[in-house]
Amino acid sequence: MSSPALALHDVTFGYEGRPILKGVTFIVEEGEFCALLGPNGAGKTTLLRGMLGLIPILGGRVEYGFDRRTTPPGYVPQRESLDPIFPLTVLEVVLMGTFARLWPLQPVGRRQHRFAAECLAQVGLEQIAAQPFWSLSGGQKERILIARALASEPRLLLLDEPTAGVDPGATVAIMDAITRLNRERGLTVVLVSHQLRIVRQVVRSVIWVDGGSAVKGTAEELLAPERIADVFGAVAAGG
Amino acid sequence: MNELFEILSPDFLLRDALVGSVIVGVVCPLVGAYFVLRRMIFLGVALPQLSAAGIAFSFVGYRLAVGVHEHGNVSERELAMLGSFGFTLGGLLVLTAFERRGRETVEARIGVTYAIAAALTILFLTLDPHGDAEMVNLLKGDILATTRTSLGLLASVFGAVVVVLFAFRKEFLLVSFDRDLAVVFGKRVRLWDGLLYLIIGATISLGVMTAGPLVTFGFLVVPPLTARLVTRRMLSFSLVAAALGGAAAFGGFYCAYRMDLPLGPAEVALASLGLLVVGAASAIRRGAGRWRAS
Repeated sequence: MSSPALALHDVTFGYEGRPILKGVTFIVEEGEFCALLGPNGAGKTTLLRGMLGLIPILGGRVEYGFDRRTTPPGYVPQRESLDPIFPLTVLEVVLMGTFARLWPLQPVGRRQHRFAAECLAQVGLEQIAAQPFWSLSGGQKERILIARALASEPRLLLLDEPTAGVDPGATVAIMDAITRLNRERGLTVVLVSHQLRIVRQVVRSVIWVDGGSAVKGTAEELLAPERIADVFGAVAAGG
Repeated sequence: MNELFEILSPDFLLRDALVGSVIVGVVCPLVGAYFVLRRMIFLGVALPQLSAAGIAFSFVGYRLAVGVHEHGNVSERELAMLGSFGFTLGGLLVLTAFERRGRETVEARIGVTYAIAAALTILFLTLDPHGDAEMVNLLKGDILATTRTSLGLLASVFGAVVVVLFAFRKEFLLVSFDRDLAVVFGKRVRLWDGLLYLIIGATISLGVMTAGPLVTFGFLVVPPLTARLVTRRMLSFSLVAAALGGAAAFGGFYCAYRMDLPLGPAEVALASLGLLVVGAASAIRRGAGRWRAS
């Protein structure tokens, strides 16, 4: 029996004391591939940020199945949240992931460079390490941010809309990279998405966010066409 | 050419001023790299005024706590430095706290800060009428008047700034580029932000009093903007910015000495000329690249 990677017990998340999501209770098991879905504005990103400790917990508790201080979760933010004014190469972006395990004054050495190159290879982009990060396509940037998350050597990977705004080919490459990490390395994955059609093909479980709360269930159960039709209409259910 | 050998001579009369200029020219862009990358350039409007308010406050404070202050002595400069640093740092912290809350526009925050600081400066000077002329002298920051003592202070403080910037560059980069990731990694984000603001505050207050607001802000902003156009990596960005700043400071000093020009404006004009030339070259290169691709 697998152990929990992340457990939420009756948690309330919100901003400035105002609750957005209440009574959230679920467990993400180790090695699980889980999608965080729901209508626009339902609070998917709020829940993800709450799980990461980026917004305050107003009630309940969030437990990790490992020591967060020594093994922080891997985090892939929406790439639009990063400022293109920073002059950074691909390798420099990936190296940032290794900072998770480095103390202040501890230099970024050969080991970190080697490991960052390995992480780049895992997303199939080792040949562009020296290129400027901002010159890449949206899909490539997203894979680089996944490599950066891997460089922190996480046991849990949380991704915020990794396929938003990228072309279909890049979407396939991103989802393929994430799926391989889950299957081959046993990495626990929680992924925010609004692309039901793509997510349905790869995830086993779903956290459905709607109406100020969230429930977890199997993909078959929560992504049943009749249920999706109720929320989004017939077009989404079919697609 | 003779002037060049003259200013490089160990016996050069304005040697301390030259060394001070180059130190400001090298260190301000290193700090300015973060000033530019964190999009804090607009703060350049409000911070010198806060620095002035701090100086005026320190004079009034001394007058109220100790008694009539004798302007022109060394402790006066130290006092002014303390006031300038305290107000600059305090202002930076308050402005960034408001920025996080994000309810007002950047222009509103900077405009209000400027208005408050200007009003406070006048009010403090009214309470210490002897301070007015002296403060103008201090804020003018005449680098030609650099003494061995003030050069020593400048070199020590700016030297410490450089050491801290390079020692903690991965922490400063992480909190500046992706604050959320730094939080997820369990880094002490407020500590690193605070340390960076401390460095910015120290650089601005000492820079303003040594070289004046024009030179300080010119070198904080112009060389990093130039370096941004020609570099791809963070480390080379910082180093090229510092090298450009140092070169502009030395070149500006040479031009000012040779053509009898005011030093500060000559240095900033030369740095800005560099930005124009590099900017034009980059635009031509980009245009040519697009033309070849089409």
